[in-house]
Amino acid sequence: MSKRAIQFQLGIGACLACLFLILYAIPHWISSPSNMRNIVLSPRFWPSIVAGLTGLVGLGLLVVSRSTPHDRGPANTPIDAPRAGLLRLTGLAGLMIATFWLLPRLGMVWVSIPAFLALAFLARTRHPKTALVCAVAVPVLLYGFFAHVAGIAIPQGDYVRLP
Amino acid sequence: MSMIDNVMAGFALVGNVDAFLALAIGIVIGVIGGAIPGISATMAVALALPFTFPMQPVNGILLLLGVYKGGIFGGSIPAILIKTPGTPASSATILDGHPMAERGEAGRALGMALWASCTADVISNLSLILLAGWLASFALSFGPPEFFALILFSLTIIAGVSGESLLRGALSALLGLLLATIGLDLVYGTNRFTFGNPNLMGGLNFIAVLIGLFAIPEVINTVWNPTGHVGKVRTLGSKWVTVADYRRCFRSILRGSFIGVFLGSIPGIGAAPAAFLSYSEARRTSPNKANFGKGEIEGVAASEAGNNGVAGATLIPLLALGVPGDVITAIIIGAFMVHGLQPGPMMFVMNVDIIYGLFIGLILSSGLLFIVGSLAIRGFKPVADIPKRILMPIVLVLCIYGVFAVNNSIFDVGVMFVMGWVGFLMSRYHIPAAPFLIAFILGPLLEDNFRQSMLMSGGTPDILLRGPITWFFWALTLITIIAITRGTLDKAREKD
Repeated sequence: MSKRAIQFQLGIGACLACLFLILYAIPHWISSPSNMRNIVLSPRFWPSIVAGLTGLVGLGLLVVSRSTPHDRGPANTPIDAPRAGLLRLTGLAGLMIATFWLLPRLGMVWVSIPAFLALAFLARTRHPKTALVCAVAVPVLLYGFFAHVAGIAIPQGDYVRLP
Repeated sequence: MSMIDNVMAGFALVGNVDAFLALAIGIVIGVIGGAIPGISATMAVALALPFTFPMQPVNGILLLLGVYKGGIFGGSIPAILIKTPGTPASSATILDGHPMAERGEAGRALGMALWASCTADVISNLSLILLAGWLASFALSFGPPEFFALILFSLTIIAGVSGESLLRGALSALLGLLLATIGLDLVYGTNRFTFGNPNLMGGLNFIAVLIGLFAIPEVINTVWNPTGHVGKVRTLGSKWVTVADYRRCFRSILRGSFIGVFLGSIPGIGAAPAAFLSYSEARRTSPNKANFGKGEIEGVAASEAGNNGVAGATLIPLLALGVPGDVITAIIIGAFMVHGLQPGPMMFVMNVDIIYGLFIGLILSSGLLFIVGSLAIRGFKPVADIPKRILMPIVLVLCIYGVFAVNNSIFDVGVMFVMGWVGFLMSRYHIPAAPFLIAFILGPLLEDNFRQSMLMSGGTPDILLRGPITWFFWALTLITIIAITRGTLDKAREKD
């Protein structure tokens, strides 16, 4: 993606966000007392100002994108296999969702160990043995610190509880 | 209380092994964090933050300040050795540091970086001690309209100078302001974007947002491009920095330190521009200007003095006005908040012992940085050799534990993950993250001061221009916008 395309997409995105906020999100998702005498003090006023400014910045970005020279080079450093990269990112998103969902059910330590290993695998580590040792040691050490030194109730899950 | 009483109260807080150890450990963590490419001083401070929760407030804050100072110096180690700045502030150090390393003089370059860093650190700390109290006593006369104008000015300058484009910086700041509106309304207590979820009623957790924005995108980047970091490490060489080298570079170090102090005390400028300005001034005035860029030791001294001169000075607006000077101080403000402290002019009245305790700790930190830095230069190899693809899973697990520990909330872990993807997308679209975070912190303050001003005036906006202080900040805001717009237009014309 070129710099010009980035400016253009950001501009369009900001304008759409502004319209969505002003026309739908702010009226529907912000409650305001019905007897507001002064609009400036309304809970909707400040978000509306921010939304309006977002629209202005979006228009500015669109104008700037028109004057940005056509640059064929990509704005971000290209990677070797973009499709594999996207697959890895999808895997990471899945890993984060699974971690979030399993944390209260299995406990933080028992979720962190496979999450560590899965991430090391996704990042194509060349040190699998070190990864395995760290995957066990890091969550257990952190559990020791937070649970026993800081006195924080780290989630233990429904199955195996740690001392 | 007199000045002597304040100093003694400060000593009572930090005159113990715990405070000294916290500072020393912080510097060690910072140097290691800064020396590992991909961690950076910012991420090191963010990751260290949850570990300070069980500590005494002053010890926790000293630990984070140690990480900050250590991190800024630590960033010069990979900049010189593997041409990869550990922190953005070390980018200027590459220009002469790496050519020196290629010549087999890495030890000499690192030694000069340390000496220049420590000298600049002392100057920066003294400036903080001299200026913060004066500025805070002045700020005690500020009311809501003055604070509104000040915060607006800070946000404008942060948005304008944080990235390559004013508009993208402004968009970032606006997104931060928008995110800060989530939660119960400050005046009427009605719901704003809470969707009936009680987890959202208090707003998004600041630490979850900041760790998500600064640490998780690095993890995502490593997964996206696992081999992007591979580099080559140089040896230290046998040459070492001498007193004669230091004396030759002393003027550049002194000039760079003051440039750092000046730019650091303006919210939003940060260490990288200070390092580059200091470097270009040294090159302009040096008798060896032809050697700059080819391995001139004065270039290393100037850039390191510039970026370390900022470290103490960014605390001036933080402590005196409650406005973070850069991203790292924005994270450190989190430590204050977690311990129930609100930086700003009132802190000089209510918690003056903590302020003086921090000053004493900061003076100690320069000496400690010298000792830790000397050891780190010799022991750099194991640090630089930690495989990034092992490091990032460690970072992820640290983030999960750290963010959960703030409020015992798994919801916050989810917020952190989401913010991580937001941060990743922002980096792909070249939107700077600093204005987002600082606007997220200052957003509620900005809105609160605006609405208080409106309540005071019965809804008339004239109050926002009620006196010389507000005029001053409005004028600065206007000048900043004009200057940044002119700079952008000039750059565009040069390209054409």
